[in-house]
Amino acid sequence: MPRLPHRLPPTIPVKKSILVSRPANGHEVFIPQIRKLVFEYCDAWSSSANLRRYIFNHVESLARENPHVEVVVKERPSKHPIVRGFYLNNRDKVIGLKEFDVNQIQNKVQLLLDASGHKIVPLKRKTVVSTAESARGIWSGFHVQEPYRI
Amino acid sequence: MVQAVKSIALKAAQIASIPASSLRQFPPKEVVYNAGAGAPVFNAEAWSNLQQPPVSALTAFAHRIGLANVIQKPQEILQACTHRTYPQFYATHHPNDPPLQSNSNLASLGNSLLGLFATEYVHASYPHLPTRAMKAAISAYVGPLSCSNIAKEMGATPLLRWHRTEVIPTMPVPVTLEGALSTIPRALTALVYQNRSLPHARKFVHAFFLSREVDLRPLLKFSDPKTALARTVSKFERERPISRILKETGRRTNSPIFVVGVYSGVDKLGEGFGSSLKMAEFRAAEDALHRLYLTRTPPHLLTLPSHIFPEGRGSVFKLTKQGEEYVAGEIGVTEVVYASKDR
Repeated sequence: MPRLPHRLPPTIPVKKSILVSRPANGHEVFIPQIRKLVFEYCDAWSSSANLRRYIFNHVESLARENPHVEVVVKERPSKHPIVRGFYLNNRDKVIGLKEFDVNQIQNKVQLLLDASGHKIVPLKRKTVVSTAESARGIWSGFHVQEPYRI
Repeated sequence: MVQAVKSIALKAAQIASIPASSLRQFPPKEVVYNAGAGAPVFNAEAWSNLQQPPVSALTAFAHRIGLANVIQKPQEILQACTHRTYPQFYATHHPNDPPLQSNSNLASLGNSLLGLFATEYVHASYPHLPTRAMKAAISAYVGPLSCSNIAKEMGATPLLRWHRTEVIPTMPVPVTLEGALSTIPRALTALVYQNRSLPHARKFVHAFFLSREVDLRPLLKFSDPKTALARTVSKFERERPISRILKETGRRTNSPIFVVGVYSGVDKLGEGFGSSLKMAEFRAAEDALHRLYLTRTPPHLLTLPSHIFPEGRGSVFKLTKQGEEYVAGEIGVTEVVYASKDR
């Protein structure tokens, strides 16, 4: 059984693993989480017609407006059209664009641009998810004017 | 097991980042010619490590961190992402190419700048913080772990070019992925300093490093906070600390709770709770020391020494315009000898 030292030093030495800071994305500067957008279309199939129209008319301006995103246009023969978003947490989101019109494609692309890349979980489990402590503190029965009497 | 899966995923993230569309020929020639006997075995990992990340990835990275106008040449970004272990590895495979530039000089300059800005910020924000805790706080803000985390969050992992050297027993600590990644934010700081000015570099460091969350309470741990508090109170020439029970419940049951306050005369210095009187007293003394050492200058009243340097591009020593007038902040009382040295 390990023995404790007879007398500990006055200040307990700190482990190197706790000498780290936690992220605060958005507090002063915001790093957008999307890094690459890949449009995959088919030249032959009619389901890709709208995506081909979108690529022809809108993709270049999209790439100019979002210089932090790499935009890739790729042919995917004999398959329905999709758009993939790659994020900084090494996850990706894939959205099928079969028979979507150009406005709907724009909406889906905007969804991918705004997303964080995290998995979508139902908000039923935890009511508050935060790294900060509660601002008003947690209620204590010992710090009230009138203590509870049975 | 989990660690092995994580490292494989990290490696895959690095390797998979080079798209086939950016290569002149895929699969490469060496794979096909290797069919003959006596030819060197094709090493896929080494080959992928030798490929340059596409220019679009470098410029997208610069835009993502908001430095597109500051670092305009993709070659500069590539240099910032090249670790010192890489040029030698590259030269063994491409001996006829000119030697590559690494980020080692930029990283050491950036490291000094980070130390400068973090030190003045921590010292001005927490004037009473003891020296050891201040050094630990500076490591927490701009140390190697934080730098590597920041590089990962910026998305620099697929852009990093490095080479893991063989582990030799006589060699000092070998380079890890985290160590290589940590050089990137330092190099970026140095590039901002070089391409703009010192005040711009300070702004960059405050935005990316010093805005992150660091809890200083775990850095202030005392073996005997009661003794430390008694000596601190005597240094401030106040009455000796006395602990008093404020509230208690459940004494002599299996779940008692005591709330104890430590007083100097009529002033309450700190409060602590615990399941025993000793525990509550210990926490109360710790709380009192935290309330002293962690007093913080509000951000709107913060004056940093580097503010005397004038704003504007170029070297701060050559500019003639005078900067803001510097109002010195409060200098804290030095910490007690008991808790400042390991005696």
